[in-house]
Amino acid sequence: MSHFTRRQIAAGLMLGVAAPAIIRSASAQSATLKIGQVVPITGPAAEAGKYAMAGAKIALEAINKNGGILGKQVEIITEDDQTTNPGAVLAFSKLATNADIVGFIASIRSTQMHAMAPDILKTGKPTMFGGTDPTLTKLDNPWLFRCRPNDTYSGKVIAEFGVKELGLKKWGIVHSTDAFGTNGMKALDESLKALGITPVVIQGYANQSQDFTPVVLALKQAGIDILSSYFTFEGDLGIFARQLRQLGVTAPWVGSPSIVNTSAIKLAGPALNDTYGVADYAEDSSPEAKAFANNYRALMKVAPDNQSSWTFDAMNLLAAAINKAGKTDPAAVREAMLSIKGYKGAEGEYNFDKNGDGLHGYNVVKNVKGSIEFAKHIEFPS
Amino acid sequence: MDLVYQLLFTGIGIGSVYALVALGFVLIFRATNVVNFAQGEFSMVAAFLMVIFAVDLEWPYWLSLILSLGGMAIYGALFNLGVYYPLRHRTYLPVIISTIGASILVTNSTLALYGPQPQVLSNLLDFQGINLGTVFFDSQYLLIIGVTIVLVAFQYWFFEHTLLGKKLQATSQDKEMASLLGIPVAAMIMITFVYSAMIGGLAGILVAPILFVSIHMGGTIALKAFAATIIGGFGDVAGAIIGGLALGVIETFGAAYVSVPYKDGFAFLVLVMFLVFRPQGIFGERVAEKA
Repeated sequence: MSHFTRRQIAAGLMLGVAAPAIIRSASAQSATLKIGQVVPITGPAAEAGKYAMAGAKIALEAINKNGGILGKQVEIITEDDQTTNPGAVLAFSKLATNADIVGFIASIRSTQMHAMAPDILKTGKPTMFGGTDPTLTKLDNPWLFRCRPNDTYSGKVIAEFGVKELGLKKWGIVHSTDAFGTNGMKALDESLKALGITPVVIQGYANQSQDFTPVVLALKQAGIDILSSYFTFEGDLGIFARQLRQLGVTAPWVGSPSIVNTSAIKLAGPALNDTYGVADYAEDSSPEAKAFANNYRALMKVAPDNQSSWTFDAMNLLAAAINKAGKTDPAAVREAMLSIKGYKGAEGEYNFDKNGDGLHGYNVVKNVKGSIEFAKHIEFPS
Repeated sequence: MDLVYQLLFTGIGIGSVYALVALGFVLIFRATNVVNFAQGEFSMVAAFLMVIFAVDLEWPYWLSLILSLGGMAIYGALFNLGVYYPLRHRTYLPVIISTIGASILVTNSTLALYGPQPQVLSNLLDFQGINLGTVFFDSQYLLIIGVTIVLVAFQYWFFEHTLLGKKLQATSQDKEMASLLGIPVAAMIMITFVYSAMIGGLAGILVAPILFVSIHMGGTIALKAFAATIIGGFGDVAGAIIGGLALGVIETFGAAYVSVPYKDGFAFLVLVMFLVFRPQGIFGERVAEKA
């Protein structure tokens, strides 16, 4: 019977402990490169989640067809955020435990981004997002990169278009009381005040409202000649739009991007005819936006909107930054991302500033009998 | 003054929906002594059936309505057999858990079958509504209020003036005694589930053109209807109606005159006040005694 020496036992133990790591490392060398995506698969935004996954998938397929990232095929791993803040935190945490994931595509909802931000900071990997609350890129979180223009710009564009182009002065603002809606309202209010106008009525509402009669009556009583809105969920927007028209408010309406979303137009129908929206994505705004629209229609059989265009850009930007860095090291990818200038995506031209904001302007579009027509693009210096 | 009339009309309209769903809660509670937490899903399932028949298959509305309500009768019977009947001899707790499980199962099954997209169901009447002065009467709300009145009258006649209604009342009051008197208790409970599913379904179909058809529509309505049953008096039919209407009016006026974002808060503030100061509700007996 042979006896093991203490040294042999120690060596054996070390090998046993190290083996899984060695095997994992070896398999990682040959495996695909992974991107994590936090997306609503269930909950009120589940439909939007489907669009978000489709946008990322279109980009992914093109990237893989062209050789992948750093010569590897790419794979997206999705987790359901359940359209809730706790769901988003849980989904991100699950993805963050996967050491193979090199970057993330997170949420279009600002409230969820606020909820996930501390974990994103701890994880320390580049995270693309679509929430438009301006404060999100001022949290001292170096890993957040925004793929949509923030609401400082939407507020400015709505105010400038309403006051200068339409020449209207008696403003009513309706907004969700969540982080997105409240900060959007504040940005618009500030932009209007900069133009010398104080809104005659500002009405907040809680998400998932079933009735907007009191809101509409307040607008009516204030005698508004122009309405602006920051709606988070298309269902709320649909109910509000119908009640607004039924109760006889016909003032021109310039809304935040949700007003031109496919779901909102389907739900509200003619109640949204002749409304204006600031839209980060507009099909006719550039050849890149048009090309994305063609690919999206071929896959989904419906018109694209910003729910899919930003994830399409997010996936492409991550690929571009990693390729530019030449490695997946988070700090190197961050540096490469911030150096991206003049990148033409579906949403517009990306010029990342030091805060991580990629886009600095909005399109104004008009709903003409259910189809979205591009009116103009307003760009601000980054 | 027109503002008050407009708010009152809307409040009564939305309150009627709460009342209809609350009625379903009460009927099942009286028959089984448990709260059916899948009551809201009755509304959601019926609305989706309506979408299938009236929108997808493009069948006439009246036929779609009959088929949807027929479908709900079958659904109610299956719900009784699958969720309540196997646990009928257990305490109320396993049955409540069973109804919560059924609620989750039905919601996720609908999501898997129909997808997450909210669906549009057009108004059941051909006109949008009527204007009297500056007050707009939405045709769908008019229909909801009308159906609620008819249903309450029908229910009164049914329970007070028919043999079947009296058997159902006897079963809800004392199952053992009813059984001794030869009333088929299991069949009575089955009828209660069928009727409750049809009422909940009707509420869902009526409110669908206003709130759209989505897998979450039932949960929102059921929460308010549950509050309405407690305000009205748990187990009391008249209480469910009054509670539902009161809740609709209070939250609408609260939103208009105090704060819109806290609209739901008014409903639940009233609920908490009732639980503290009058837990038996307007008409009913104490919840604690019933449980």
